[in-house]
Amino acid sequence: MADPILTVENLTIAFGGLVAVRDFSMQIERGTIHALIGPNGAGKSTTFNAISRFYTPTSGRVVYEGRDITRLPSHAIAGLGIARSFQNLELFNELTVLENILIGAHVHCGGSLSEMLEAQPASVMARIDEIIERTDLKSYRDTKARNLDFGHQKLLELARALAIRPKLLLLDEPAAGLRNREIAALDELLSDLCRRDGLTILLVEHVMQLVMSISHTVTVLNFGTKIAEGKPAEVRANPQVIEAYLGKETALHG
Amino acid sequence: MRSLYALRYIYLLVALAGLIVLPMLTSGYVVYLANLLLTFTVMCLGMHLVIGECGQFSLAQAAFYGIGIYASGLCSTHLGWPFPLSMLVSGLVAGVVGLAIGFFALRMRDIYLALATFAFGEAMQWVFLNWKDVTGGPNGLRIAPARLLNWEIISDKDAYPVVLISAMVMIALTILIARSRLGRSFRAVRESEVAAQAMGIDIRGAKLAAFGLSAFFAGVAGGMFALYSTFIHPDSLGFSTTILVLTMVVVGGLGSIGGAVGGAIVFGLISELLRQAPSFQEIAYGLILVLFMMYAPKGLFAFIGETFSRLKHG
Repeated sequence: MADPILTVENLTIAFGGLVAVRDFSMQIERGTIHALIGPNGAGKSTTFNAISRFYTPTSGRVVYEGRDITRLPSHAIAGLGIARSFQNLELFNELTVLENILIGAHVHCGGSLSEMLEAQPASVMARIDEIIERTDLKSYRDTKARNLDFGHQKLLELARALAIRPKLLLLDEPAAGLRNREIAALDELLSDLCRRDGLTILLVEHVMQLVMSISHTVTVLNFGTKIAEGKPAEVRANPQVIEAYLGKETALHG
Repeated sequence: MRSLYALRYIYLLVALAGLIVLPMLTSGYVVYLANLLLTFTVMCLGMHLVIGECGQFSLAQAAFYGIGIYASGLCSTHLGWPFPLSMLVSGLVAGVVGLAIGFFALRMRDIYLALATFAFGEAMQWVFLNWKDVTGGPNGLRIAPARLLNWEIISDKDAYPVVLISAMVMIALTILIARSRLGRSFRAVRESEVAAQAMGIDIRGAKLAAFGLSAFFAGVAGGMFALYSTFIHPDSLGFSTTILVLTMVVVGGLGSIGGAVGGAIVFGLISELLRQAPSFQEIAYGLILVLFMMYAPKGLFAFIGETFSRLKHG
């Protein structure tokens, strides 16, 4: 545990009387892919939303690069290098693919007056073209987001998040609803982002095929508490996980 | 594609040339009407920024317009300021009031925001009617001719070049804002507030900026009105004026600058024709607004374009 980029300390999140997450702690190592899994209602998305500052926890802290971000306004974390995607797609539907990604680069367009006024600031366009290329969106550059097929909409969510130039990328079920071929491509892209670009990724995901293939560390939540953590193979073999979370072992191998 | 753009520029140049020679060819009434339509164009641009770009309701445009008219009228009448300065002041005063109202009203959204801004508009009309020392109350306010050095604007024709240039400057400003980082953040807020936040956009700040800018535009429109008018009465600063501007923007097409400008001109002409039958006027506005929302929600120009391409391609 040499260099954590993000530390979650004793996080508790309650909605009224309902405790969604209880005394949860976790560390995400820099440059790794860390998966957060668990059955429906385990508190994964709640934790995810607390880290990305859409929920404020009842108690506990979220520390990013040594800085307490628990109470920052939700628009302040993009500038720190934390990007997120949304489980149920939150694209700017009536805008084009390019404009969606340009808005992703919002925090990088404020350096000078000319940068603020330009429709396509040169300083961010090189990076955006590269993102468009890598996410396979090149032929859809001027297509409105709502006219994309589901797979490309998912990719656009990812592309837009990458335009933030994050150090930490938070992905909420990026593989949900994708076809096998698309999942394989996503697997390759995420691994590449981690290996080549040194990105740290926190992944909330139900698609075990992806989780087991790309994660360095897997944390398992059930009923709002952590029940296991470790390498994918360790977690897969953990009897508590098999029993409490999956019910049957075959699903992990699927 | 490129030649299509070239063609569009040629149309624009022809239209501009027409606007420049207009006062030499026509009577006083047509020039008056042109001044009025250009003033409403600027009001529509303000409405476009807040509703079309940022997706936030503001039903107080007539109030900001009124603030602009009184501010400009008072500056030139009592202080004798040159008109460029009084126009700027009218925009700034309206903008600052807009920011202050937005600061409170933007805690609400959707229909509640619409109601809050509507209430402010009504309250301002009451202020215009009752703050007699400043606005002249129900007697109205006489506006002294606008001046710059030795030049006095005493006719619609005198005012026309200034009005035209002001409208062009405001159109250019709108285009500049819309394509800038600020304009992108407006559209992001309109499309998805949660995603906008995740991209690092302060959505409250963006809404406030859109609200303040739209008030600034309405204030400048008020300053333009004060150039060619000698008199202002609170009756013309009520909710019906706000609805007129809203109808123009919807008729032209929500969300496009060309639509806002085109809507102001087309609908401005319609409303001028309907002046002969004032009791029918408001019914007609309502009817047109409803019909457009039902059958041509993207506005007149998109509707014409789509119909043409349907006819062409069978």
